[in-house]
Amino acid sequence: MSIKKNILITGATSGIGKALACLLVKDLNTCVYGIGRDEEKIQDLLGYENFIFLKFDLFKVEEIEELFKSSLGDIKFSGFVHCAGLEETLPIGLYTVDRVQQVFTVNVFSAIEIVRNLSKKKYSLDQASFILLSSVMGELGQPGKIGYCASKSALLGFARSLALELAKRKIRVNCVSPGIVDTPLTQKLFQQIEEENKSRIVGMHPIGIGEPNDVVYLIEYLLGDKSKWLTGQNIKIDGGYSIQ
Amino acid sequence: MNTAKFLELVRDELELDSDLHVSTNLKELDEWDSMAAMVLIGLVSNEFDVNLTGDDINSITTVQSLIEKIGTERFE
Ligand SMILES: NC(=O)c1ccc[n+]([C@@H]2O[C@H](COP(=O)([O-])OP(=O)(O)OC[C@H]3O[C@@H](n4cnc5c(N)ncnc54)[C@H](OP(=O)(O)O)[C@@H]3O)[C@@H](O)[C@H]2O)c1
Repeated sequence: MSIKKNILITGATSGIGKALACLLVKDLNTCVYGIGRDEEKIQDLLGYENFIFLKFDLFKVEEIEELFKSSLGDIKFSGFVHCAGLEETLPIGLYTVDRVQQVFTVNVFSAIEIVRNLSKKKYSLDQASFILLSSVMGELGQPGKIGYCASKSALLGFARSLALELAKRKIRVNCVSPGIVDTPLTQKLFQQIEEENKSRIVGMHPIGIGEPNDVVYLIEYLLGDKSKWLTGQNIKIDGGYSIQ
Repeated sequence: MNTAKFLELVRDELELDSDLHVSTNLKELDEWDSMAAMVLIGLVSNEFDVNLTGDDINSITTVQSLIEKIGTERFE
């Protein structure tokens, strides 16, 4: 097996990240390194020779450097996709510093720490592509979503600065911001709200809510050479949700 | 949790002007709205590790009915 591309994915055990890993492993010239906590959810992926599971809790940001040293020592990545994310509904009155810290740790700090390591020549190729999953909520607001919206906005700023810092190596950095996609994250969210509210949210997506692959094909494009002039952008993919 | 303490917590978080009793109908409070429902869901999740669903919120009336949703065995 001659591996030409190594791609690192966080959140590879569920939803969008898992769907992306399932697509990428079909190309035997690509080796996918998937970070997650619960491998039970990806038994199908574990059978692939070109899929490597890294069981790691992203709350442990301070251990990320060691993860690179111990498990990714001589790998040069040509792509990184940060799909891991926490979504929660909590009004401001209940948002303690610890809770804010938690959501920012997984959604933002873990990505910054991974990229701090990944941006070294030792771990990445020139012309690599880094993609961060933000959300339409990175630019919009919703009651109860302070932690989520603030953290997704933070990713937008991070991506813009990073794109400039890494431009001299022609490494591209972009955000992908989906509307509601049918994944376990959405299923959990829908459980918490009333039927009426659910139909209202679905109805706000003019061409319906998305499937994981709708987003995955955009990520595939951003990972590839065809998007080599695209950097520092936030690409919304939301069935028309945010144009209203 | 002690029921009196729970009443005080709900009263504080919802910033109620009036008194709160187990027999008070939450939905009839002036302060009741979708934000209040959200606060209640967050409070119950923090304190009891119980996640109330949208349907639970729909069916709750009095504080007593909320206590029953959480589980009466959790109260003294
Ligand atoms: N679904 C949507 O409607 C939607 C809309 C806009 C944006 N997004 C964004 O798109 C991304 C993917 O969403 P999704 O719907 O695919 O979510 P999902 O199904 O809930 O999956 C979330 C992933 O994050 C991982 N994760 C969470 N906490 C972690 C931790 N502490 N350590 C390691 N991994 C952790 C989970 O891994 P384990 O389960 O193994 O812990 C899981 O693989 C997220 O950033 C989300 O905010 C989603």
